[in-house]
Order: sequence, then structure tokens, then C-alpha cells
Amino acid sequence: MLKQPRQTGDEIWKTRIDKISAELFTLTYGSVVAQLLKDHENYIEVNKQLDKMGYNIGVKLIEDFLAKSGTNKCGDFRETADTIAKIGFKIFLNVIPTIANFSADSKEFSLILEDNPLAEFVELPENAVGELWYSNILCGVLRGALEMVQMQVEVFFVSDILRGDDVTELRVKLVKYLEEEVPAGED
Amino acid sequence: MSSNSYFVIVGTRDNPLYEADLGQPPPQPQQARVADGGGKKDEHKHLNQFIVHAALDVVEDLMWGTSAMYLKVVDKFNEWYISAYVTASGAKLMLLHDAANTDGIRNFFQDTHELYIKALLNPFTEINSPITSAHFDTKVRALARKWL
Amino acid sequence: MSFPAYHATVPVQSSPLQSVSRASSHGRRPPILERNLVKGRSNEVSLSAYAFLFCEMLSYATKKSSGIQDMEKKLSDFGYRVGIRSLELLVFRDRPNRRDTRLLNTLSFIHTNVWKTLFGRAADSLEKGTDNEDEYMISDNEPNVTKFIAVPKDMNQLSCGAFIGGIVEAVLYGCGFPAKVSAHSTGSDQFPLRTTILMKFDKSVLLREKGFEPR
Repeated sequence: MLKQPRQTGDEIWKTRIDKISAELFTLTYGSVVAQLLKDHENYIEVNKQLDKMGYNIGVKLIEDFLAKSGTNKCGDFRETADTIAKIGFKIFLNVIPTIANFSADSKEFSLILEDNPLAEFVELPENAVGELWYSNILCGVLRGALEMVQMQVEVFFVSDILRGDDVTELRVKLVKYLEEEVPAGED
Repeated sequence: MSSNSYFVIVGTRDNPLYEADLGQPPPQPQQARVADGGGKKDEHKHLNQFIVHAALDVVEDLMWGTSAMYLKVVDKFNEWYISAYVTASGAKLMLLHDAANTDGIRNFFQDTHELYIKALLNPFTEINSPITSAHFDTKVRALARKWL
Repeated sequence: MSFPAYHATVPVQSSPLQSVSRASSHGRRPPILERNLVKGRSNEVSLSAYAFLFCEMLSYATKKSSGIQDMEKKLSDFGYRVGIRSLELLVFRDRPNRRDTRLLNTLSFIHTNVWKTLFGRAADSLEKGTDNEDEYMISDNEPNVTKFIAVPKDMNQLSCGAFIGGIVEAVLYGCGFPAKVSAHSTGSDQFPLRTTILMKFDKSVLLREKGFEPR
């Protein structure tokens, strides 16, 4: 009998993961966002850059993920959601987002990030509130990683407590399952 | 109990990062400068800046003779005292005040220091650049009411 | 938008989480200005997550730079922003209301406290330059991030060093000990990834130090 994903994630985190200070991670990500803002002076462009960086990470990270988790192909998209939240987020960021708002056709779901190590110290400037998705790198990571396992997805933030919203919600939409082929790189 | 005081955080290039007149209610944005006929308030502010700036050299000397962050009263100018506090990364908290209140000021400095760290941790706060967060300003004024 | 026919939606047993359409906000952290700094998350993330981020930072810096020096400067800037913030946070938590006024204390603070907080263990050595009295060196036999495969081997030492150098420069400057900081690969057979941070102090620092000595 297969273990529950949550248990699997916890176990991998405890036994097979080299760890580093979460605050160093937070501060380094903040430093990256600050630099992007300096270079582009435009929040929308920063969103794009973060998404792009995330994508580059995602396509590489999936291998590390598969190796560490020993995950097989996910049966369906609900299982995929479970694996992302309880194993993926757990073994990389040591947090487990809540899965919510699955669409009736099971092709869309949300990840609610109660605890977001990327945004630990952040207070958005007023003029960024309507434009910047501070943790947008996560969208790219999920998109890149899932593409490598034959799932074309759209990922975007629908709300963020940094903007004054009640929750930080990441939406994941399955566009289609890809044929086994070498995916075209981005950029 | 509250008296007139002027608080400023000075960066490592002797540049002001934040300043607040703590004797009066916070200026209404836009209005204040015009309503006052401009002159008097600005003049007052310039004098404050001048006094604090003159005291920076004293702080620069004193801070190497002690390992404390709180330097207490470092200078006097007419009826004004200048108290100072140096943070771990070299920002200087300076308070111009007209009544001695060593412990209250210590508490005020320690709390504003903590607040300053939180503001600094925000990646949108540029190092050695002015702190513009309204939230920060509100909290400093609340601390002044509490301790000064 | 059409979905491939072979993708059937298989119903699964609904998990209890499904019933909560929006997460409750009880676990939500207050905004930064309202938070207690003493109790940090005291938390960790995976080293590989950090290495992936680091790698992207590196490739961004490479793309945006006109040459090696420019790139090192960029990476040092990335580190500088981290260094100043870490310094305030670390002192606030570990030794509130205290500053170091002497050079050696500050160097040992970096070698031990800063390293432990950021990289999980103290640096491997702290030495005084043999030729110049204004030079000191801190070495790390195996900087954390370089161990990880995500960073291309040929780049990682240089870049990692520049980043750490930026952190060190920020801490020194913040403490009032301005120095020119540079990073060097000092790998040996035993420690191929060994990196040395060289600090050349400003004249003012040495003069002040002399003033402390008993006359």
C-alpha cells in the first residue's frame, strides 16, 4: 500500500534533504526582486522576469524532485495537486499549501499558501499593490516542472495577502497533457 | 508629559532616512506646508536639522569609546539636548529634546530600532535611502507617545 | 480550448480539505512591522531550493553584465543587500544593544556568528595577511551553495565567492570597518571548492585601532 503523500513528504524532508536557513533564502529572493526592480522599473515586467526565472528553475528542479521523491507518474490531476502540495512544496520550501477550489472538471485547482517563505519580510509599496505578484517565481517553477512531465499548465496568482487579500492563492489550470516529446525551451 | 522633540534617523553617509517632529500632530500631507504660510515650520525644521547635523561628529567620536548602542545625551544646544543611538549597521537614531528623560529615551530608541530593522528587512526599502512607509511613520509616532 | 480525449477525469475520494473552499486565516502571519523579530521562523528550506534560486541569480547577473568584473560587482551587490539586513537581524537577536568597537572582535563575529547564522557552521579560518598589516582573510573550505549540482561548476566558485564577499563587505561597512573585499578561489586537492574572502581595510580603521592600544 502506498504511503500518503503528506507522510512521504515529511519523511523525505526529515531524512534526505540538505537544509539551509530560511531567512537567508528569504533575503536572497528579496535581493533578486530588488535588483529586477532596479533594472526594469516596472512591476509588470518584474512579474514576467520572475516567472521566467521560475520556469528555468522548474525544468531543472523536476529531475531533483523525481529523484528525491521517487514519485511515479501521477494518476490524474487531483493526484498531481496532492503531490505538488504535500511533497513538492514540502521538500523544497518546507511548507504545505492547502489545496482548494478544484473545478468541477478537475482541471483547475488552487494552492493556498498560509506560510510563504519567499515573502516573509515584505511590505509592498503602495504603487505595487495592484501590479506586482511578489512570489511570481512560483508560477514559473510549477509551469516548468509540470511541462517536463507532460503537463501543459497555466499558473497564476489570484490573490496575495501582501496586497491586502485574505489569502495568498495560486491557481493551477491544466491546459492539456503533452505527447512524449522534447519540449521546446523557452527564450 | 509629552514635550517637544524632533527625531531623525541618519544613514551612514550622514543622510536623513526619516524625520519626524514629535511635538506636534503629524503634518497633513500637502496642506501643512502651505497652511503655515510655509515659513515658520520650515525654519524650525532647518534649525533642527542643523543641530542634529552638528552633533553627528560628536556621535562619531563617542561611539568608538563604548560598546553600547545607546549613547545617551551627546550634545547640548541652548535649551536642547541631543540624544543618540547607533544601530548594528551604523544607522544613527537622533533625538532632539528639551527635557531629560534617560530611560524613556532608551526605550524609545530600542523600540524604534526594532521598527527600523523591520522596515529595513523589507526588500523594497533601499539601503541608506529614505523610509517612506506611512505605516512606519504611524508606529514611530505611537512609540513617541508611549515613551517620551 | 479542447482537451485530449484520452484524458478522462477520474473522480477521487474527496479529501477533507476540499470542504474548505477558502483557507481560514487563523495561521496568517501579521505584517512585518507588527511582527515579533526575536522569534524568527527559526526555520529551514532545502539547500537545493536555495541553489536553484542562486543559479538563476547568477545567470541573470551574467546576462546583465559586460564582463567578469561587472558580474562580480553585480553579485556582490546581491550579497550586500543580504549582508546589511542579516547583520541587523543577527545582532538584534543574539547580542542586543551591543556593538563591537574593535577590529578583531568584528572579524571573529563574522567568521563565527555571521557564518553560523547564514551557512549553518562557522567559517574554516580567519587569518591575518602576512605581507600587509591591513589585510585579513576568512576562508570557507566548502561554501554551502557550491556543493550543489545546480550551479555550473566552472562558474560557481567565482560567483559564490563574490556573493559571500558582498555579504562580508556589508557587515564590515555596517559595523564601521570599511574595507575593500574580494573573493578568491584557493582550492586544494583536499578542498577543491575552498574560497577565501580577502579584506583590505580602510586607513581610518587601522588608525582608530592604533588609538586603542595602550601608549
